[in-house]
Amino acid sequence: MIATERLTHDFDGCPSLAAIDLRLEAGQKVVLLGSNGCGKSTLLKLLAGVLQPVSGRVLYEGRCVHEGLRERAFRRRFRREVGLLFQQADAMLFNATVLEEIAFGPRQHGLADADERARAWAARVGLSNVLDRAPWTLSAGQRQLVGLASLLVLDPRLLLLDEPTAALDPRSSGWLVDFLQDLPQTLVVATHNLSLASELGRRCLVLGEDHTLIHDGDALAVGRDREVLLRANLVHRHRHRHRHEDGDADAGDPGKGPHEHSHFHTHDWE
Amino acid sequence: MNRDRALLLGYLVAVVAASLVHDAWLLATGLVLVLASAGGRAGPLAWRVLRATGPYLAAVAAGWLGLAMLAGPGGSEGAAGPALARLALRVLLLAALAFRVLPAVSLARALSFSRTLRYVLVLAMSQLLAFRRLFGDFRLALTARTPRRVGPRTAVRHGAATAAWFLRRAEHDAGTLTQALEARGFFLDRD
Repeated sequence: MIATERLTHDFDGCPSLAAIDLRLEAGQKVVLLGSNGCGKSTLLKLLAGVLQPVSGRVLYEGRCVHEGLRERAFRRRFRREVGLLFQQADAMLFNATVLEEIAFGPRQHGLADADERARAWAARVGLSNVLDRAPWTLSAGQRQLVGLASLLVLDPRLLLLDEPTAALDPRSSGWLVDFLQDLPQTLVVATHNLSLASELGRRCLVLGEDHTLIHDGDALAVGRDREVLLRANLVHRHRHRHRHEDGDADAGDPGKGPHEHSHFHTHDWE
Repeated sequence: MNRDRALLLGYLVAVVAASLVHDAWLLATGLVLVLASAGGRAGPLAWRVLRATGPYLAAVAAGWLGLAMLAGPGGSEGAAGPALARLALRVLLLAALAFRVLPAVSLARALSFSRTLRYVLVLAMSQLLAFRRLFGDFRLALTARTPRRVGPRTAVRHGAATAAWFLRRAEHDAGTLTQALEARGFFLDRD
């Protein structure tokens, strides 16, 4: 469906992505892991054709995206079939009401039932009661959902989601994970939250701090691969205290009672 | 034409007129009329206008006085007095017009005739609100880090750092907004 060939990008000479080769098949659920600044957002923006690569290319159904986007017919098809949820969803919201925001895409593409589609998707993501409100008056989590509904309303084939759980509370994050898994679309979900990785996709791409693709494989296996996690800066170690209630450290019982040591952790962090 | 659009149009006409008039008496009359139109709120309106424009007008007047002193008695800056008075009156009138009219205008209703203008308005409003929130955080952060009222040097340094940060942020946001508009098909039919 979509593939990259030696895809490379930099910002003013600072590398942000180095020679990425990958191929995504229709229907795959892929999680894109990496620490802050490793190039996850850049990769999604390149796949969505809103950033130009320095070298290499993105192919959509065999056609070079950045060449194709110069043609109106390809542009219309690509923009309908590929949706990108920005990490900062506010950047996507520019209409006066939530209803208009969600209906914007269908209107741009000349669909007759724009409002009906918008209402239906608003209901599915739990926004029916805020349809007449301005998007910027909503909470960060709700704005994220408005952005998501604005993409889904076009029934895209490929969804690129950049940290979709970042602004959500734990309950909403859990709901979103289930919701995404039930979608028929091909999904690429970027996150640095290791604990969510295996929930968001079965295939996992890991970007290293050198901006290269250091792993492409099973999401569950990545969580157990210490070497990959260390290279990607996805685990850390620190000192912390344990308490074993069945012993007494004061009595010189080694390993019992309160004691301190350090080992690797995969905490959620935001 | 709805009330908001009429008010906005009237405001724009008044701004153009205030920019074209060069008679100090006419500018002063305009200022008095705007203040009088506020009725019982004329006093607070005048105070707000003075607070908003005072530092700017004081800086301009100080610059003019400095130049006049440097030039000595024969310098041409001495003749700039009437021009300075016109400038001050014009600034006061424009500020009074803005504070008097704009709070009463719903820009969304006034610009409802154009979808494009509404997009621009919403983008500007969302950025403005986000920046206002952040600006509040910057001020609170300074307060939290300083046990007493900050001196002018710290205030200037903080102001400069804040301005630079907002400039970089605005530039970055403008880039991201353009990418988001592109990704959502805003420019579908461009060639």
